[in-house]
Amino acid sequence: MASYFVAVATISLIYMLLAMGLNLQYGHTGLINFGHVAFFAAGAYASALLSLAGWPLPASFLAAMIVAALLAWPIGLLALRLADDYLAIVTLGFSETLRIVLQEEGWLTGGVQGLPGIPGLFAGLGPDARGLATLGALALCNAVAFLLLRHLVRSPYGRLIRAIRDDQTAVQALGKSAARPKTRMFMLGAMLAGLAGAFYAHFIAFLSPEQFVPLVTFYVWIAVIIGGAGSMAGAAAGSVLLLAFLEGSRFLRDALPGVSEIQMASVRLAVVGLALILCMLYRPQGLFGRRKG
Amino acid sequence: MISAISLANYAVNGLVEGLLIALPALSLTLVMGIAGFANAATGDYMTVSAYAAVTMQKALAASLLLAAAGALAAGVALALLCHWLVFRPLARRPAVTSLVASIGVALLVRSVLTFFAGHDQQSIQTPLMRAWNFGGLRLLPTDLAVAGVAVGALLAVFALLHGTPIGRQMRAVADNPDLARASGIRARRVMLALWAMAGALCATGGVLYGVKAVIMPDLGWELLIAAFAAMVLGGIGNPGGAVLASVLLGLAQELSVPLVGPSYKIAVAFAALLLVLLARPRGLFGTALAAR
Repeated sequence: MASYFVAVATISLIYMLLAMGLNLQYGHTGLINFGHVAFFAAGAYASALLSLAGWPLPASFLAAMIVAALLAWPIGLLALRLADDYLAIVTLGFSETLRIVLQEEGWLTGGVQGLPGIPGLFAGLGPDARGLATLGALALCNAVAFLLLRHLVRSPYGRLIRAIRDDQTAVQALGKSAARPKTRMFMLGAMLAGLAGAFYAHFIAFLSPEQFVPLVTFYVWIAVIIGGAGSMAGAAAGSVLLLAFLEGSRFLRDALPGVSEIQMASVRLAVVGLALILCMLYRPQGLFGRRKG
Repeated sequence: MISAISLANYAVNGLVEGLLIALPALSLTLVMGIAGFANAATGDYMTVSAYAAVTMQKALAASLLLAAAGALAAGVALALLCHWLVFRPLARRPAVTSLVASIGVALLVRSVLTFFAGHDQQSIQTPLMRAWNFGGLRLLPTDLAVAGVAVGALLAVFALLHGTPIGRQMRAVADNPDLARASGIRARRVMLALWAMAGALCATGGVLYGVKAVIMPDLGWELLIAAFAAMVLGGIGNPGGAVLASVLLGLAQELSVPLVGPSYKIAVAFAALLLVLLARPRGLFGTALAAR
């Protein structure tokens, strides 16, 4: 039972990293990223493949962050030329395209069979200690990311990116460029997703393309929106709520006879969809947010 | 080297696929032009309609025509329902809100569908016909029928847009909402007409896709990227552009099959989208739909 809680806590901290990245992009900078899962996948596969090729894990984790950020770079540049809706479409298309590449290029990624035997973190420790140590490392990364991002959004630069979110034309009229901050924030958010991906790969130890469907992106969106876009603590709280719901629905199924696991997956999807709709209709500022909708 | 005849076969298939993409693409571009947001649930309206047709055939032993009529009713009803419950209340908020809500609608609709209908493949029963063979060029009568109905539906929408008062009002709202309101155009009726039209286009696309291929819960979602690409390619809010772009995209997707295999269709659509955005951000065919 204890190891179950450690596992759930690990996954929720991975989602927290993802949510922090998306919150930076959407909540603070106003970039609509419907392809967050692509950068998560890129980080996961990059770290897994490099560690399987013999790289030490710290190096492969770093590489995962760099790969994700570099993938985000051209899309961030493109985003400067595009209105909000276009970026949403482009990122969604990008994440689906990347998933197909992961699926088709079996020589590199193992294709649909997947990529097994990814080394875990802290291999020297016993099984219980290893789980706790991984959780500790994740908590540390979350804390560092949280503090750095809080510092960033409270700095003058943070005011600049929020100003771009609220009125890009006004910012440009004041003689400031909107282009570079937007690209940077997009890359930074993707970098956090890449880090989350690396943790995920070495925690799960097995990767396959179907783990990276667009639904993951919208799970993260739910976490950010429920927490209140633009609220740092909200994104963290939203991730915990999301995981509580995803895991809680498993126990709920045990209590509901006659509902198959596949149907329960439908129910889960329905709740996510409904939550997105209801949040948009009634609480666009999220459960904890204060920003006017 | 690929022979000319097999290339021609791919081209024919691409033409039919392109006409199928044109239906949701036209729906997307009309909604974008008039309601002002990208409706990510467009594909799922198609899926629901396709399942409605299958259910009519299976449960009620309805004829193909009756099943198609039921699907049309289901598509229009779903689009209007989502308009009343979700998109109309959000109309005054930023477009992002409607876009995110439309993702919610897409997930919700698909989840209800899979809860009751499961994940198994379904198919719409059509009379079996042998392919015609013109010296290697294979033509399926079903494909011809699918293409014919698609063209008919597209022509009907263009006739409505350009030949009726409500169509002219729709184009006026797309062109300049404030001026349209000042001229006494009632936005309420325009929106009803828009969503009925969007739902009908999706329903037609869903049924035709079901006739041509198999029906799965993510049938429409899989077409969404291509329809988005066609909308952008054609110039957002430009109905004629969307149709032409869809056909080009269908051809590009099919003609790429001998080069990169069938799995990379979405990637081809995505690549086309990127190229257009880089080279001509306003689409291949210029600006939005306008009323004269």
